[in-house]
Amino acid sequence: MRWHLSILAALLVVPASAADKPDSGALAKRIDSHVAAKLAAAGVKPAPAADDATFLRRAYLLLIGRIPMPSEVYAFLEDADPKKREKVLDRLLASPGYATHFATVWRGWLLPEAMTRYEIAAAVPGFEAWLREKLVANAGYDKIVTELLTAPVTPARNPQAGDVVLNDMYGGTGKSPLAFYHAKEGKPENLAAATARVFLGVQLECAQCHDHPFAKWSRDQFWGLAGFFAGIESTQPGQEFAPLREVSDRRELAVPNTDRVVQATFLDGREPDWKPRTSSRVTLAGWVTARDNPFFARATVNRVWGYVFGRGIVDPVDDFTDENRPSHPELLGELARAFADGGFDLKVLLRAILSSETFGRESALAGPRQADPRLFARFPVQGLTPDQLYDSLTLVASAGQEAPGGGFLQNPGSAKRQFLDKFALVGSKAEAPTSILQALTLMNGELMAAATDPDKSRPVAVVVGLTGLTDTDRVEILYLTALARKPRPAELDRALKHARGDTTNPKKRYGDLLWALLNSAEFRTNH
Amino acid sequence: MSLSRIPRPALPGPSRRDALRAFSAGAAAASVAPWFAPLARAAARDPARKRSCILLWMSGGPSTIDLFDLKPRHENGGPFKPIATAAPGVMIGEHLPKVAAHAKHLAVVRSMATREGDHARATFHLRTGNLPQGGIDFPCLGSLLAKELHDPAAALPPFVSIAPQRVQAQGAFGPGFLGPRYAPLLVADGQQVAAVAQLADLDRVLKVQDLTPPGPGTPAETDARLALMTDLEAEFLAARPGLAAEGHRSAYAAAVRLMKADAGKAFDLSAEPVATRDKYGKTLFGQGCLLARRLVERGVPFVEVTLASAAGAPAGWDTHGNNFDQVKALAGVLDRGWAALMDDLTDRGLLDTTTIVWMGEFGRTPKINPQKGRDHFAAAWSTVIGGGGIAGGRVVGKTSPDGTTVEDRPVSVPDLLATVCKALGIDHEKQNLSNVNRPIRIVDKTAKPLTEVLA
Repeated sequence: MRWHLSILAALLVVPASAADKPDSGALAKRIDSHVAAKLAAAGVKPAPAADDATFLRRAYLLLIGRIPMPSEVYAFLEDADPKKREKVLDRLLASPGYATHFATVWRGWLLPEAMTRYEIAAAVPGFEAWLREKLVANAGYDKIVTELLTAPVTPARNPQAGDVVLNDMYGGTGKSPLAFYHAKEGKPENLAAATARVFLGVQLECAQCHDHPFAKWSRDQFWGLAGFFAGIESTQPGQEFAPLREVSDRRELAVPNTDRVVQATFLDGREPDWKPRTSSRVTLAGWVTARDNPFFARATVNRVWGYVFGRGIVDPVDDFTDENRPSHPELLGELARAFADGGFDLKVLLRAILSSETFGRESALAGPRQADPRLFARFPVQGLTPDQLYDSLTLVASAGQEAPGGGFLQNPGSAKRQFLDKFALVGSKAEAPTSILQALTLMNGELMAAATDPDKSRPVAVVVGLTGLTDTDRVEILYLTALARKPRPAELDRALKHARGDTTNPKKRYGDLLWALLNSAEFRTNH
Repeated sequence: MSLSRIPRPALPGPSRRDALRAFSAGAAAASVAPWFAPLARAAARDPARKRSCILLWMSGGPSTIDLFDLKPRHENGGPFKPIATAAPGVMIGEHLPKVAAHAKHLAVVRSMATREGDHARATFHLRTGNLPQGGIDFPCLGSLLAKELHDPAAALPPFVSIAPQRVQAQGAFGPGFLGPRYAPLLVADGQQVAAVAQLADLDRVLKVQDLTPPGPGTPAETDARLALMTDLEAEFLAARPGLAAEGHRSAYAAAVRLMKADAGKAFDLSAEPVATRDKYGKTLFGQGCLLARRLVERGVPFVEVTLASAAGAPAGWDTHGNNFDQVKALAGVLDRGWAALMDDLTDRGLLDTTTIVWMGEFGRTPKINPQKGRDHFAAAWSTVIGGGGIAGGRVVGKTSPDGTTVEDRPVSVPDLLATVCKALGIDHEKQNLSNVNRPIRIVDKTAKPLTEVLA
């Protein structure tokens, strides 16, 4: 870690009390100053500030997972308070939608298996309920991770009954992080790989079988981390999803196909401080979530940054290596430090990033040199996640929505489940192309029909049926409904031309307009 | 010899491109059969024609000891008898008589030696060539081959998956890190046999979902709507070059091509003569094979057809109980569809450029369990490869008299998949950049292609 002198100086003058009580506004300024320094060094002028409507749509999509409704856009545009952006961030972060949405987001990172294995999908409601409870209470991220890493894996009830584990995960008691252990098949190597990837930002999978070819990790280090999970074992070996149990003082593992046995060891070489009759996972969690852990806070702020911008300061967000350097090392260091010093408060972090000028820039490219994504000279255009897209479309269609909590995932017939499968993102959000089937679904599928069919669409029925509206009003409302902004003059002209092309069937014509807007790249992306 | 055989046209025929153009122009006449033969003949003769692959995927783990590696002199053999085939010395199971007639174009690999006995893991292994590994989104075989063989200008997508059952191992059916461009176009996704007992049902499900706009609307109205969309998003797109926005536009262009072009008519099975449809069998798998032929004729490089259940075998190939009745029922469906496909590809001159792969995720235990069933077995089982690039009429490897061990020429999953690549003229060691930012070979570097079956 190379510290820039100016940053060191800046840190030295921050009084301790300010560090204890995190201030999103001050942190936002630090973000902008680091980003500006790099832009200046590169000689690139950043994009201008985006307008209020653009800001609002971004914030809604990122914080509660859906586009704003027309009434919400109008209210925001008409609010004369100069602090209205901060106000709306506060309101969204305090809303139930935040906890519900981020429970889904974190579940996606912690349990990616739920999208490909129905047995794991069945455990999602309990897992999301647990996460949601933590997010509603705004528990420190260190506390959440500690709870996950130290969750008792031995089921409390009926350990002998056949299928007890799934029942235990989401039946009686409900909220539980236990699904994490079952998704990783209770295997120390899988648990270690997931822990390294999500919490520490490092990919150790390759080191499972050989010394990592592109990074410094050795095979013994991988198995050393896995050693903290060595005590976990199935009560019925060979039987998937059987109850697990833990031998708490087992802390070593044999490296497969060798005669070596490695002890549980931390990745930074520190010596574990073992406590008797305590799961070694407690020791691991203490190291992972320590304020001075060299990986944890950096990996987390980078992941959250990547969630917002579609690209991490280190990118991919879980690939911290010597070869894959951060675009803004000082910024990463300062964000991580503020995050750790402020009690790992996810809301403070999100509020800081979303209230920065860097976040508030236009996405339109004003010059070729702004295109370098590592500069954050403009807001990157990102494909909507399947959840954002589905929830936004159902909002426009006034279609039935799945209840929050992820229960629908275990139902292959669920319209949302099928949609999520079809729209599953591969790779980074900034590079997510659309498939042919996705385009067909968006153009011709049931959900789009519900949203835009002249005889079914509620927005179309409203704009055509309400008396006293002009054609211009109608176009404007449909623009707000789909794109959360007012049309520009040229767009208004084009839309009016279509709407007035057949005055005998206005519903059809306005249905066409809504269809065109919902199928546009502008709707399909966060920009 | 089939009644539906279409007379070959007099030479010289039109070039493939001409044929395709004529085919699309003659939309109104396109349901008339004579178009197909010139199309196929032209396709076969086109020197630039790329190769295709059809995977017949036996979901659930087929009992290969009852189909391709019979043990009639051992108690593990069960009641089925081997029969001679058109290839001297190659014997296969009595319930595949029609396939037996094509044995000269098929190589039976009797020495698959794999390790995964769990449906999900084994399915992932056979279909991607890899074991699940946290964090790496491995593409399935179809996506890998589609990437190598696709024609960027084609109206049809490069990978069509017919009647897939993805529930157990969804990750084994996708494009992984290759991205949505190589995602399969799913047809009759997750369809259960019981729901499609009638030909009309089959016609309905074996179509691309959402290919036609909902509700009434003339083509002119659809065009007007598309023009409105194009105009209204033009400014947004122009100001935001980049993959997310451009990928959106290119996918829409391809989807619209598929909606408008006669390419979409590939999915109209009612255009086939009744006798042809009958020959393939009025089953999801049989009609799926017919659709596969129609797609390969139109240049689709990878088509897979899943056989996961049949009347009389509701659980499909996962025959833990009552193995023999169920395998017989499934083999009947398989034999008819597969043999009709071989017939038609041969007639059309397309078998030389179309590689056929038959496989499931594992075989079944040689020992018959008390429920007259066979359980999962990965240590010694069979697969079949044939058609283009394969020297057929032979057998690779050998299992022990009781069927439990491979005695000669053990074949791994990478070995098999690399052989398929070679048959298709693809360098299996070529690398793709993965989602974990490191290059990954099409097939793992441990692979040793089965050179003895390569033509």
